[in-house]
Amino acid sequence: MTGQASTGRGPLRPLREVLAAPTWPGTVERPPAERRLGAGYDTAWSRTPAARFGRALVLDNLTRPALRLLAAPHVSGLERLEALDGPVVFAANHSSHLDTALVLAALPVRFRHRCVVAAAADYFFDRHWKAVASSLALATIPFERGRVSRQGTDLAAELLDQGWSVVIFDEGGRSPDGWGQRFRGGAAYLAKRAAVPVVPVHLHGVRPLLPKGGNRLRPGSVDVRFGTPLRPLAAAQAGARPEDARRFAARIEEAVAVLADEAATDWWQARRRAAEGVTPDVRGPASSPWRRAWDLPEHARTDVRRRRLGRAAPW
Amino acid sequence: MKAVLVERLPHRFAAARAASLVAGSGTGVRVGPTRLADVESPRLPGRGWHRITPRLSGICGSDLHTVDGASSRYFEELVSFPFVLGHEIVADVLDGPLAGRRAVVEPVLGCLARGIDPPCPACAAGNKGACERLHLGSLAPGLQTGFCRDTGGGWSEQLVTHESQLHAVPDELSDEAAVLVEPTACALHAVLAARVTPGDTAVVLGAGTLGLLAVAALRRHAAPARLLAVAKHPHQRRLAGELGADTVAGPDETRRAVRRLTGALGVGTDGDRPARLAGGADVVLDCVGSADSLAESLRIVRAGGRVVLVGMPGKVSVDLAPLWQREIRLVGSYAYGTEATTPSPRTTFDLAFELVAAADLGRLVSARYALDRHEEALRHAAAAGRRGAVKVVFDLRRPDEAWRRRPLPAGPTGDGTGDGDGDEATDGAGPGAPEAGRAGSPGRRGATVNDKERA
Amino acid sequence: MSPRPGFVLEVDRSTPPTLFWHGEGFRLERLPEGSRVIYPPEPLPALDDPDAAIAHALEHPFGDSAPLSALLFPGMRLTIAFDDVSLPLPPMRAPDVRGRVIEAVLDAAAAAGVDDVVLIAALALHRRMTDDELRHALGQRVFDAFAPNGLLVQHDAEDPDNIARLGETEEGELVALNRRAAESDLLVYVNINLVAMDGGHKSVATGLASYDSIKHHHNVRTMQHSRSFMDRHHSALHTSNWRMGHLVAEHVKIFQIETTLNTDTFPSSFGFLQRREWEWTLRDRVGFEATRSALERTPARLARQIFHSVRAPHALASIQAGEVEAVHEETLANVHRQQLVEVHGQTDVVTMGLPYISPYNVNSIMNPILVACLGLGYLFNLYRGKPVVREGGVAILSHPTPWAFHPVHHPSYIDFFEQVLADTTDPIEVEKRYEEQYARDPWYIHLYRTSNAYHGVHPFYMWYWCAHALDHLGQVIVVGGDRAAVRRLGFKPATTLADALEMAEDVVGRSPTITHLHTPPLFLADVR
Repeated sequence: MTGQASTGRGPLRPLREVLAAPTWPGTVERPPAERRLGAGYDTAWSRTPAARFGRALVLDNLTRPALRLLAAPHVSGLERLEALDGPVVFAANHSSHLDTALVLAALPVRFRHRCVVAAAADYFFDRHWKAVASSLALATIPFERGRVSRQGTDLAAELLDQGWSVVIFDEGGRSPDGWGQRFRGGAAYLAKRAAVPVVPVHLHGVRPLLPKGGNRLRPGSVDVRFGTPLRPLAAAQAGARPEDARRFAARIEEAVAVLADEAATDWWQARRRAAEGVTPDVRGPASSPWRRAWDLPEHARTDVRRRRLGRAAPW
Repeated sequence: MKAVLVERLPHRFAAARAASLVAGSGTGVRVGPTRLADVESPRLPGRGWHRITPRLSGICGSDLHTVDGASSRYFEELVSFPFVLGHEIVADVLDGPLAGRRAVVEPVLGCLARGIDPPCPACAAGNKGACERLHLGSLAPGLQTGFCRDTGGGWSEQLVTHESQLHAVPDELSDEAAVLVEPTACALHAVLAARVTPGDTAVVLGAGTLGLLAVAALRRHAAPARLLAVAKHPHQRRLAGELGADTVAGPDETRRAVRRLTGALGVGTDGDRPARLAGGADVVLDCVGSADSLAESLRIVRAGGRVVLVGMPGKVSVDLAPLWQREIRLVGSYAYGTEATTPSPRTTFDLAFELVAAADLGRLVSARYALDRHEEALRHAAAAGRRGAVKVVFDLRRPDEAWRRRPLPAGPTGDGTGDGDGDEATDGAGPGAPEAGRAGSPGRRGATVNDKERA
Repeated sequence: MSPRPGFVLEVDRSTPPTLFWHGEGFRLERLPEGSRVIYPPEPLPALDDPDAAIAHALEHPFGDSAPLSALLFPGMRLTIAFDDVSLPLPPMRAPDVRGRVIEAVLDAAAAAGVDDVVLIAALALHRRMTDDELRHALGQRVFDAFAPNGLLVQHDAEDPDNIARLGETEEGELVALNRRAAESDLLVYVNINLVAMDGGHKSVATGLASYDSIKHHHNVRTMQHSRSFMDRHHSALHTSNWRMGHLVAEHVKIFQIETTLNTDTFPSSFGFLQRREWEWTLRDRVGFEATRSALERTPARLARQIFHSVRAPHALASIQAGEVEAVHEETLANVHRQQLVEVHGQTDVVTMGLPYISPYNVNSIMNPILVACLGLGYLFNLYRGKPVVREGGVAILSHPTPWAFHPVHHPSYIDFFEQVLADTTDPIEVEKRYEEQYARDPWYIHLYRTSNAYHGVHPFYMWYWCAHALDHLGQVIVVGGDRAAVRRLGFKPATTLADALEMAEDVVGRSPTITHLHTPPLFLADVR
């Protein structure tokens, strides 16, 4: 094969020869392709001082004012974080893409600018531009949802050790119907491994603004509520053995459920119901889909403008 | 001798093209390469050639292409300038075996006329239309009489023809019927090339002369179960129905009409009709030959069906993806030759003579003009559909021969949409009033004019 | 002031010109002295608390039926069917009464712990509704709870797997119904009874049936023997539906909920449309003049869009629930209370101004076939006793009748107009030669099932709807219509009403009696 065979004729030929990559000889074995996206995406650059400075500028001057206009967030429970200064794992419920920005914007300054967000590797890191944009703007790190994988947790644990806090949406994805989902245990595992506390966070009323599947933003108002930091119980408190990650995860989920109750009623009622063990289940009734939708509390109902099946041409 | 002459004048071809694009077909005649000239009668090129004087000479779509400067460059090597136009000719034969009789000219200048011996395989097989020696031999290049420097053409007072080109006209056949024999042969050839089998659905796109003749030919020489004619103008719709179309539809209705007839499904939508059909007609005869008509043909033919190009297409831009994916056969059909009829093969012209008589095709002649009026004639021919006409011819007969003339057919009636003006229909030059039509015209031969001109 | 009943005006020399609807526009016409104009009754007052009325109706059923709450139990299959986009006209302002009623039904179902609930739009052979139309009819809450989970479906008369054949009536009519509805423990039907034709057994027996079942009553013979189909006791159409309804009732328990609306048809900006011309205030006169001159300058497409975005301020006038026949008798009484106008004697010539909308072109184009159907099918049949116009009389319709079809909604209409009506306009011939071909055409079936197209046979029904009028009338004249389209329908085009009246005299003789139907809003002429 000659070098010119594939480049054609005409005045542009020299240019094409320069621009076209050389072809790989068939007799030479090719190295395996590197996996540069998904869970393998390297976000180290987004934690360099320059990227952090840029992110801080955007977050404080653009994201927060925009959220104030759009979502009018009411933040409560910050006083519960006053005793903390080291790195923390924030575990929040998840119903909308806005959740990440809302949590970041609500954090006290000492956490806000030294914080990463565990984000679904298959969604936020599947395209190069998405990976760059989300890691720059929201300090995301790729996390594989549905399972606790080495790559993601190693990085998160390492960052916790270095003094970064981590935000995890432990439901593993946004709620499909407005009801809560089971906590997967990522927060509990990380907290145990890095020996840091977990702060439960509850976001209330975000879904109507931008639900899963929605493509239009609707202004509204939301509550962001931080709970009391939790630590895995030591052997003495938990009985014979120290609390394991699974049970710790359940306790985190319970704490978020109490926060949800608190948002719906008030702190006192929520405490009393928690004490009696009758905190309402955020996961909703185990009935048919229409009744789950029918029973959905007002603040989680949405205007589902989607699935425009075969819309007729106007005329 | 007067003749409508075409010369090799590239700038005038360009001017005619521009004029016809701006002002419509037929308007290029004034600025184009075509002019009415006084020329020498052509000399006899050799043995077997005879002089004839045209009686009627038709205006064909390919002639209009030449006048408009819109002919395909493909024909450049197959014509020789300057030439006299006109290849649909019924004429009086002046000498030779048929002297004194009327004859129709079979215009293709094949090996026999060119003195090429042995003839090419096509000519040897009787398929003159497929002759491959059109640029060789004793004559200047020219695919037909009317495109060759040496023979003259029908739009003149005299021309020469080889005896193999002449077909005597039976006495009972009128001149009007005879002048349609040549286009009828073209239509017949196309219909037989379409290979319609009984039970097929056939569609004829376009209802100009060729389209209407194709309808008549399909009705009598093929047995389609359903024959749909697509016609734009009211008189065309009426004639298509009379000549044998089962259904007549307007151009906008084509796809819906084919779908209704064949029970095909639609694919996608394009306004209020399907973007194309899945399934469709078995055979489509495209008698328009434009990019639009070809594209429409490919939309309405079934997978594996046949599209026959009857109208002359020239350079068109068409998406051939459907042709490829649905294995459509695109077939050209030019001129005539010998047809594989049963029990024995017959020439297309023989069949055409029969068809013209049987279907009374002479009625398609809707206007006659003297050669002097060639500009008007060409404009009329170019706007034939819109003006309620089908075939426009030059009338070169002597005034004293009016007895041979038939009255022109009645104009469109009944539809009432006012599109066809139909006033040519009342040309009073029937047997009852032979001279009335020419009362006001100078005593030139062939000065027959239609109503409009008289008014 | 309580609403005034409808009445018949006799035109004298001081009567102001009469308003004629004319598609997306109006004409003011001076009718000859001595003509009659039938005015509809004024809208009845709305129910004060519709939600309370709904709750009351569900718990106090008519006829042999238990209250709704007693019919619901955990583990049951509950199906709720509702009328489609063809009702009401124009579409009503949110909240639509269907959504309100269905919310109440669902609240009861949720309270009873019913898990298996499906909502079905009872399309019959109509086009599928768009998401926006469903959301409007049902309300956001119901739509969100059902649509994303696939529990909101549209009846598909051509889905062989989902049609259950229940048997035949004593007259040999096949009853084939939506399988889900037929196999439910309870079928709740939520209807809107805009005119007297709607409701009763027709709701289920037609709305949820297949073509093979519907064709037993949607045919020329039945329509010619329905005098009129607005009067259920003299309608072969309804008699057949009632036979089918009895058979259906043997298979599935039906809880029928029927509602009637008042005739508050147009918003206040179009107030002049519901007021008698001599009572027009300055505001009405300015409004009319402004509307008319604006419409003259508006392209047809835009005018259509404007009119189709009109939402009627219809209010709930009554609701009754329970066993079908008992409920329907009560409903009819309520419809008659709102719509009945007493008319004495028939007329030689009836005139009607046709509006921009008919049941089958909501958010769509009123094509010539629908023009014929609205005039000769619906308005002509809005009578009880005998037609307003005498046998052999003339109907004069006013409508622009454009040769235009909605490409998505009415594909078979185009073909019907091009092929069938070009061949014959005689309903019997039309039915004999073409119905089968159109009804079974796989392309129309495909479009009906997957797109938003009316069924292939639907234009035939429109034509059959006219059969009684075509039989009865001596001539039909269309004022101001597209000439070619009007002629294709077999009618006579006229430029002005005066010309049309002159032409009518050729048929009915000199100095005919003339009656104008001043509608919409709707009425039902009780002709004595």
